[in-house]
Amino acid sequence: MESSPQSGKQAEEALSQAIDRLWIRFLPEIRARVAVLESAAAAVTANKLTAARREKAQAAAHKLAGVLGTFSLTHGTVLARELEATYSQETSLGPDSGERLAASAAELRAIVENRPSKSQAP
Amino acid sequence: MAHKILIIDDEDDIREVAALSLQTVAGWDVIMASSGAQGVARASEQHPDAILLDVMMPGMDGPTTFRELRKNPATAGIPVLLLTAKVQGSDQRRFADLGVQAILFKPFDPLTLSSQISSALGWS
Repeated sequence: MESSPQSGKQAEEALSQAIDRLWIRFLPEIRARVAVLESAAAAVTANKLTAARREKAQAAAHKLAGVLGTFSLTHGTVLARELEATYSQETSLGPDSGERLAASAAELRAIVENRPSKSQAP
Repeated sequence: MAHKILIIDDEDDIREVAALSLQTVAGWDVIMASSGAQGVARASEQHPDAILLDVMMPGMDGPTTFRELRKNPATAGIPVLLLTAKVQGSDQRRFADLGVQAILFKPFDPLTLSSQISSALGWS
């Protein structure tokens, strides 16, 4: 996989367009990771968060933290890192944490669903 | 000069964006692997100029993959840059102790990834 380097604005625009296409391609996976966090928050609220589900939520948050900023969703990375840190704690999360975790997951959902296109292409 | 880079990452989205970035911005030749084991095999067969290696992967993780690369005379001299979403200082120290060339962080900026790699490897 080789291509010629492009310069300045040309490279930036080509890259933005290609990244927009990749975003569309990977959106189902990214949405699925957000869904894991929404489900985990609901489980916390219901006081039914198992260790397996907590680990799954931690992994989903870790992956979102790594990828969202790469698609220019910097605040999404910040939120995902906070959720990763929360779910990495082995101490049990009480139902009182559920509301906060659900709000963060909902904010992440909104960020993912409203990513603006970065390219100038129609 | 068109460098040849091997990207080893189990996450398709990260791997594809990194490849796109290095090809579009720098015109580098990119090889990809979706696991540590596949990455070790690709490195041995294709002798890339550098390897961008994810830390957290199922099965053979980044540090284990790095040690496997160092054991093989065919790949022992290839510079390795770790790519991680771990931001804690303790993790960074542990990774630095492995002897990798540099640690790059996720999320990365696709526009500047190639210059980060070039800078870490002294490529100009």
